[in-house]
Amino acid sequence: MPDLGNRANVMGPQPIGPIKQPPPEMMAAIDRFLAMLMAGNRREALAMTDERARDPVAHIAGGIPPGVFKQMHILGKARVAEHYFVKALLSGSRGESVTLQFRIGPEAGGRWTVREAVDLTDVRSAWTK
Amino acid sequence: MEKMIPVDRLARPEDHILVPLDKIREARLDQGLTPFNAMPFEEDFLKTRLHGICAGEFQAMEAAGRTLFDFPDAPWEFQLDMARQVWDESRHSEIYMKLLDYVGSYLGEFPESEVLWSCTQIDDPACRVAGINRGLEGLACDVFEQLIRMAQKMSDPVIERAVDYVLADEITHVRMGSKWMRKLTEGDPERLRKAQAFQDNIDNLFNFGGGRTTQEGAAQIKQRLGDKEVEIDASLTIAREARLLAGFTDEEIERLIKGMGKSAAY
Repeated sequence: MPDLGNRANVMGPQPIGPIKQPPPEMMAAIDRFLAMLMAGNRREALAMTDERARDPVAHIAGGIPPGVFKQMHILGKARVAEHYFVKALLSGSRGESVTLQFRIGPEAGGRWTVREAVDLTDVRSAWTK
Repeated sequence: MEKMIPVDRLARPEDHILVPLDKIREARLDQGLTPFNAMPFEEDFLKTRLHGICAGEFQAMEAAGRTLFDFPDAPWEFQLDMARQVWDESRHSEIYMKLLDYVGSYLGEFPESEVLWSCTQIDDPACRVAGINRGLEGLACDVFEQLIRMAQKMSDPVIERAVDYVLADEITHVRMGSKWMRKLTEGDPERLRKAQAFQDNIDNLFNFGGGRTTQEGAAQIKQRLGDKEVEIDASLTIAREARLLAGFTDEEIERLIKGMGKSAAY
């Protein structure tokens, strides 16, 4: 974000609310989910997936050759209440890469599951119709 | 350069999360929330409302710029008005980015949807100004007027004054929209009818399932905003006074009020 001015010059106490930090359990679940995809561990990835997202996750997992992608990078995340949309880049040593966007949310028992997933590799954004 | 560029060609930083509005609704429904925007009783209400407006200001800036570019044969004064609007919306974007910072949020904390930009897919400048300037900026008058009242209850001059400055511009944008919808359709009742129908669609889309009320009829709900617990409107209200200033007629405002509860959009 660009510097939009000197905060000290503005009236009132600032900021008036704290920034909400992503839960560490959610971040750990994302790492685990992406690691499973990279390892080609489709069964485990699906075990972390809600019933409604099984088809897209299975499709994405099927298109990822095991062991090719060595690094994961979280490009961005945005939340809707307690659920997070996460955009992640998986990259390999020869320049291969896939960009995925998925939504992850907590269940009653505290387990985080993937609720939807989309492969953004060949599209500009999830707005693509 | 291509005209009428589709939503998926709109550039955003790589770390921004863009999702169609339907996906945001699904995410909310999945959590047992209402499918629309965050409601006043939700913890994130002020942050998400300011975030939605900020993203809208960016898209409004881009949309006015595209309208200027897409219709090179439109009257020169129309182009000047659109250029002025780009400038206004860019200032609004900065103001709302600062307000997000102020309430402990940041641009990108929540996903951005494609709704406003979708209005630029229509190839008639009269429809564009009807939908964006009269429909969406009319809605902005409602949202801003309500935010100003909330800020007054919070005794928060930062939000109150910042939003008031922006509201003054939005009123001008609606007036601009009314002027150009009339001028561009002069002697062509069919074109005027289409522009009005386009605006009606926008009004219906943002009727929030009939959840809007008059200011006087709005139920009150307790909410912690900043360091205070205040009573605020439980629903989005219609800002009659601001809309009259913006050039909406009493009849149009009445139609909006009567339209509440019979939206075909949801």
